[in-house]
Amino acid sequence: MSAFYDEVQEIKAQYPDWRSATLPALRLAQEKHGYLSPDALRECAEALGTTPAFCESVASFYDMYHLRPVGRHLVEVCTNVSCALVGAQQVLEGFERELGIRAGETTGDGEVTLRTIECLGGCGWATIVAIDNKYRTHVMPDGVQAIVEGLRNGD
Amino acid sequence: MNTAELVSLTLDGEAVQVPKGTGLVEAALAAGIEIPVFCYEPRLGPPVGACRMCLCEVQPGPPKPQAACTLTAQDGMIVKTALTSEVARVAQNATLEFILVNHPLDCPVCDKGGECPLQDLTFRYGPGNTRMTFPKRTFDKPIPISPLIALDRERCILCYRCTRFSEIVAEDNQLIARNRGSQSQIATFEDEPYRAHFTGNVIELCPVGALTSTQYRFEGRPWEIQNVPTVCGMCPVGCNIDATTREGKVKRILSRNHHEVDQGWLCDKGRFAFTHLRADDRLTDPLLRVRRRGLEEVSWERAIDEAERLLREAEGRIVTALSGSETVEEAYALARLLRRGLGSHNAVLPEEVSDALDAFRLPLSAIADADVVAVLGDAPVVERAPIVELWIKEARRRGARVLYELDEDEVRNAERATLIWCGPDGQGGARVGELAQRLGASGAFYLPETANGRGVCDAWAVAADDEAARPDPIGLLLVSGDEAAKNPAVRAFAEQAERVIVIAMFQELAGGWADLVLPGTSYLERDGTFVNLEGRIQRLRRTVIPPVPDELAWIAKLAERFGVEISPYPSAVFAEVSEIAFGGMPFGEVGEFASLPSATGEPTTPEIEPLPRAATKTGLRLVRYRPLFSGPAVERVPELQFQRPAAEVELAEDDAHARGIRNGDDVTVRSNGTSVTLRARLTRELRTGVVRIADEHAAELQPSVEITT
Amino acid sequence: MATEVREIVMADAGERDLTKLAEYEAIGGYQALQKARGMTPAAIIDELNASELRGRGGAFFPTWRKWSFVPKPDQNPNPHYLVVNADESEPGSFKDNEIMARVPHRFLEGCLITAHAVDSQNVFIYIRGEYTGPYEVLVGALEELHARADLRGDVTIVLHRGAGAYICGEETALLESLEGKRGQPRTKPPFPAVQGLYASPTVVNNVETMATVPPIITMGGAEYAQLGVPYSRGTRLVSLSGHVANGGNYEIENGVSLRDLIYDLGGGVPGGRQLKAVIPGGSSTSILRYDEIDVGYDFNSLLKLDTAMGSAGVIVLDDRCCMVQLGIRVNEFYEHESCGKCTPCREGTRWMTQILRRLEAGDAEQHELDLLLDVCDRINEKCLCPLGETAAITVASYVEKFREEFQTHIDEGGCPFGDSSPLHDVLAPVAQHTHQGWCQTPSLRGTAR
Ligand SMILES: Cc1cc2nc3c(=O)[nH]c(=O)nc-3n(C[C@H](O)[C@H](O)[C@H](O)COP(=O)(O)O)c2cc1C
Ligand code: SF4
Ligand code: FES
Repeated sequence: MSAFYDEVQEIKAQYPDWRSATLPALRLAQEKHGYLSPDALRECAEALGTTPAFCESVASFYDMYHLRPVGRHLVEVCTNVSCALVGAQQVLEGFERELGIRAGETTGDGEVTLRTIECLGGCGWATIVAIDNKYRTHVMPDGVQAIVEGLRNGD
Repeated sequence: MNTAELVSLTLDGEAVQVPKGTGLVEAALAAGIEIPVFCYEPRLGPPVGACRMCLCEVQPGPPKPQAACTLTAQDGMIVKTALTSEVARVAQNATLEFILVNHPLDCPVCDKGGECPLQDLTFRYGPGNTRMTFPKRTFDKPIPISPLIALDRERCILCYRCTRFSEIVAEDNQLIARNRGSQSQIATFEDEPYRAHFTGNVIELCPVGALTSTQYRFEGRPWEIQNVPTVCGMCPVGCNIDATTREGKVKRILSRNHHEVDQGWLCDKGRFAFTHLRADDRLTDPLLRVRRRGLEEVSWERAIDEAERLLREAEGRIVTALSGSETVEEAYALARLLRRGLGSHNAVLPEEVSDALDAFRLPLSAIADADVVAVLGDAPVVERAPIVELWIKEARRRGARVLYELDEDEVRNAERATLIWCGPDGQGGARVGELAQRLGASGAFYLPETANGRGVCDAWAVAADDEAARPDPIGLLLVSGDEAAKNPAVRAFAEQAERVIVIAMFQELAGGWADLVLPGTSYLERDGTFVNLEGRIQRLRRTVIPPVPDELAWIAKLAERFGVEISPYPSAVFAEVSEIAFGGMPFGEVGEFASLPSATGEPTTPEIEPLPRAATKTGLRLVRYRPLFSGPAVERVPELQFQRPAAEVELAEDDAHARGIRNGDDVTVRSNGTSVTLRARLTRELRTGVVRIADEHAAELQPSVEITT
Repeated sequence: MATEVREIVMADAGERDLTKLAEYEAIGGYQALQKARGMTPAAIIDELNASELRGRGGAFFPTWRKWSFVPKPDQNPNPHYLVVNADESEPGSFKDNEIMARVPHRFLEGCLITAHAVDSQNVFIYIRGEYTGPYEVLVGALEELHARADLRGDVTIVLHRGAGAYICGEETALLESLEGKRGQPRTKPPFPAVQGLYASPTVVNNVETMATVPPIITMGGAEYAQLGVPYSRGTRLVSLSGHVANGGNYEIENGVSLRDLIYDLGGGVPGGRQLKAVIPGGSSTSILRYDEIDVGYDFNSLLKLDTAMGSAGVIVLDDRCCMVQLGIRVNEFYEHESCGKCTPCREGTRWMTQILRRLEAGDAEQHELDLLLDVCDRINEKCLCPLGETAAITVASYVEKFREEFQTHIDEGGCPFGDSSPLHDVLAPVAQHTHQGWCQTPSLRGTAR
């Protein structure tokens, strides 16, 4: 409880209805716990004054909430049409090779989760890869290795 | 009724007039036209238009089929259903085809088969074959949503009726939709059971066989069963129910929507506790105490002889303890026997009745129309009269202010204020009647603790009118019913009584103290009437033959031996009671959906004690309450045990904050040297200074407590 | 018409760092706001009417009309809300991204003017969760604005971040999401203007719409309406992507030729390849063949070809693209983004994917192509919101425009493009976005990867 609880109360105060704080609270809880574990959802529910089931119902609707553990880093490759047309698939395969995992998996050391994602809104600068929610534009298959090395070196 | 503005519209070529604002589905129904629906259910709040079963051609409007369930009748509207519109026909057919692409079509092994809207609508509007050649979605099945409810996800059509019930009606937010799109599914959090007071309603709401009752699964086909209309005898609301019977056994309880009483909802006790009829320790033979050998089974003839002997030996020094679960007729018969026959007027009654409320009599449904609802008395409404809680919630959704601390001005200034007393009995009725009169409330309700407390008291009162003096010593204590048998006060009387007769359903309640035990019956096995908390007289029907003789029958027989003439037929006994108490209303008029007698009498100003104070001098005032999920019947239903109250203490937000307590903290509740550790639950539904704990978790705590983390 | 950029929304953003309040004020920023505050709401709405501005979010609804639907305080005493739709998730569109990142103050100025016009003190900007870059820019801009009571007035602006769901771009789903619920669309009526956020009167407008408001107030509505062509006035930020040499956003006058847009501004199809098709307004719009691009890029002209400007995301496809694969990729997007509320969208899009996969694998029989079109037909016009219908219409348009290619898949028992199509075996996120391992879905993947 405590800091998280108080922060949620502050967010609630910004809206006429406490429910509007649900998405921000879930984001906070995810940042705190790494993913929305059952305990994270329970904590969220207590702070919001609702049930964990309600929190899970909302969280599971949105792609950015993780209800399963994810790696410390998240690599998301856009494979929607515009990116796919210019080689997103090859970029993805590059990540799969470099990381030694398939899309949707996390490396054995728990460092990196790789997944595909729908259009990120950068289609003219394809391929878009979001590394921990920061966009890299114009990613080419031959640029993947450097990105992965960067991740491994912690920058 | 005529004040409503009428609008004229055309439905499948027919001119129809309905009040403005009528939903199209209802408007069509009034004209004898079906608009098929799945997700539409007006009791679940505004229409959601999700399933698309109701698509019709509607003018004016966009040039494509419209979800009729989301529209209300407007002047000049032209509506074409599948009957007259090819567009609507194709649209409805398409919806059914889409619903069925992933439906398992396992009707032969589905409990819903034969009473399933999906089957019926497919029969009338659906495609006759399938063009889906791909493997269907499959799931593990059935998934236990709780010990009471099984979920078969393959059958679910995602109409969201169940989740809307949980969110909007019961407001428990426990049954939810998870994921998105074609991955959506109905679920509870983690592996936690759906644990709340009204969960069973989702079974009835589900238009397919996705949510089924674990008690009823594979127990019968629709053509093998009978539904007997009766009323629930588990609490003072008296919800209207159908008891589904098969081969002489009750198999399930369904709601029988009385729109003024229950709106078609049932609590889980009313729905699921019926299996106590078949409890292992159900008594079928009378038991007689035989010196040194303890209780021994005897024949019913012998038992009646013994009862007669015990009654005579007591020489009028008799105290009768009533449960409030007897029918009016049974209570009257007992009263006649004891009061007229034996001159024993002394009774422990389940309630103290007051006619101060009669002037404020309203149907429960009126609560929803109030603009201020004041809930007084500090006990939790949902535990005592569950459906009343749903009416209060509906009132709040419609914009009413719900007060848990009396604000007299707010009540006075309201156009329609309703007072609800849910607290210590005794003067509850009088007190709330007095308040209603003084503050000008439009309705007042008193929530008794027992199902037919009102009826039993009325019956006892009208049987004779002699003053009672408590005999000392007590020659005989006659205990009628399981609630009385469980009552500690009654148990205390037994200590002083020379002899004890107990009428009870279960072995456990008979042992130890009784000299003669007469096996009793359940409300599902009796004919007669109950008076609910509104003052509505409702008809109980025998749904199955009990394994023991009917109380009324043997009481009548026993009474004869004391020269008191009582009919063994409820109709005749009712006529006698009605003559004095119910304005001579004939038995036949009680009806399938009983109406509420209109308010009577002038508002009176009864003598009353002031409302109990919130905080005591030294600390918080503890209110102990009898939880809904407790008592002899519930204890005998294994599937209901998970519903027993959590080890919690409820406290008002102010009190919690003052002590640095947060929702979910473990706290210590202390009084006079005893203490218990419980989880704190913060609530807005409690006065400052009052805390609440269920009886079974309150241990030896005294009325004044302190709480620390 | 000339195919040059005509910067109104993006004006001066090339030369200056307009994310800074001082820079923006140096070019006359926030003067439109001051001017608007001197006008009555009715006068502002009149100005918008004169400008003929239509919403840039996709539905192309006249902005002034939407504003004028908001009930007067005596008709509805609830507070009024302005909700800005910054959820931009339409595949092919990324204009709002750049507007927020580069001209945040023009955008915010538009919000403040609109708030004044619709008598609102509460603005909520619902920005898609993935847009961390623009989010941070807006946070900075709002901080600057916060220190300036003269500009801010009595208006509170709250930035509300989405969490990854395309459907939350649909206005009623957006409101549900903003209220903290699952983003499932509501039935209309009631429309948001009457009963929107917290059941109160609410105006929902797109980011670009907002950013167009200040220039309109500055130059006057009539002047703005000089730009563009009848019915489609002013400028539009067009997002170019796919097989085009210079992908990016270009602000142009409505009505320029689509061909010129692709070849002049976009630099044409790279790698010496041939143009095969163009998706003109984001993935939700029907496809055009290579021989249909001599058309004005405006509402009416595109409507004549049964397609639309949508959110102005132009996706260019070269001759290597397999149209069946395109159908799969686009449809799986809609399947994945379907909110699951209404039956035809939820079940229909999934079924479409199954049929398309079979076509692609070469396993489909002739009647299955008809079945596909019939399923599309049965989705179209039956849904609660446009999402599912969009999937049906666009996929049907691929079949209609490239029927022979679909036929070849059946006749030859497989894909004529083999591995050469860039869309070959693209991994859609369907399986990975499922939060629970719950359902034994039979594998939909045609070929093993
Ligand atoms: C499925 C769907 C997705 C949409 N996504 C967006 C979006 O991302 N951004 C947007 O501005 N409008 C989107 N819209 C349109 C909005 O519903 C709405 O029309 C628009 O925000 C109104 O703003 P405008 O009048 O300024 O264009 C979407 C509509 C649908 C049906
Ligand atoms: S379980 Fe039944 S009531 Fe619930 S969504 Fe599915 S079909 Fe509807
Ligand atoms: S009944 Fe109308 S959409 Fe479900």
